Amino acid sequence: MTAVRLLAHAAALAAAGSLTGIAANGLSPRPARLAEPVRSAAEQAGACKLPGATSLVPRISVAEAAPLCAACAAAFVDARGAGEFAAGHASGALHLPPGEVPLETLFQLERFRTVVVYDDDPASGHADEVAAALAARGLGGVRVLDGAWPAWIAAGGPGESGACASCAARQGVR
Amino acid sequence: MKTLRLLARLFVGGLFLYAAATKLPDMAGFAVDVANYRLLPPALVPFAAVAVVGLELLVGALLLLDVWVRPAALLATALLGLFTGGLTQALLRGIDLDCGCFGAGTRATWWTVLRDVGFLAPALVLALGARGREVGIRPGGRREPGRRPAGPAPRDRESRSAV
Repeated sequence: MTAVRLLAHAAALAAAGSLTGIAANGLSPRPARLAEPVRSAAEQAGACKLPGATSLVPRISVAEAAPLCAACAAAFVDARGAGEFAAGHASGALHLPPGEVPLETLFQLERFRTVVVYDDDPASGHADEVAAALAARGLGGVRVLDGAWPAWIAAGGPGESGACASCAARQGVR
Repeated sequence: MKTLRLLARLFVGGLFLYAAATKLPDMAGFAVDVANYRLLPPALVPFAAVAVVGLELLVGALLLLDVWVRPAALLATALLGLFTGGLTQALLRGIDLDCGCFGAGTRATWWTVLRDVGFLAPALVLALGARGREVGIRPGGRREPGRRPAGPAPRDRESRSAV
């Protein structure tokens, strides 16, 4: 095989591979959106937060979030500990403490245009950390609840209690 | 040498298919991993991510099937070179990122660069010297013009006249 022929075959394979990629993307449970630009995590909200500085993750007030929760128009993510979550959380909230974001959680959240993350203390930064991790995995519309869980309770936001079914399934708890 | 090429083909082919399989469930996440290298304009990032996975699938499959081995190995070498270069520039620029090599959660370090350089060796062995089914045979199975079928070489004109 001459060098020219080899390069021609490699170029043909590159073109075929790109088309294969487009087909494979269509079959993926979380496909890349080709029409939308993708920015690095450093260029997204919540990145490069200095200690003590105001977070760049967009906020949402309880007054805005409560109707979204009642209408199931937004996903809620609880970034507190498992015990606090079991004691009470926003209706339909998923339990996701800071750390690795499981793929099944991303599948559940990406169906919503808005994702509201909260923790137990506005100064703890846990909600910001989880929100930044979700945004870094390509999730859009992520907001942090202004005033955190205390503000939600004080305003009488919709709530429920009990362990998170999806967390229990992941940990093998029946 | 034949055994070495067989092992290299199976290793690189399996490696590329595995890499593609780990990315397929979360292509949107892999696109963010590609963006984190900060090499491409945001509008091109999803296309690059999709192309990388498609190439990994195709190259891996061809190498395992022993079809078009040299072009596939050449592409594998180019991709691995690209990955190594991308990782190196990111680390030199102080970018803290997941390499995105085998799904999410693989932190990029200099060990990752060394590992990719190690992967380059078998791909190069195949690209420089492999003789797959493409030799003398077109993809459709027809013989290339000017190529003789396998078997003893016919004696040339001079040798015949000398007899």
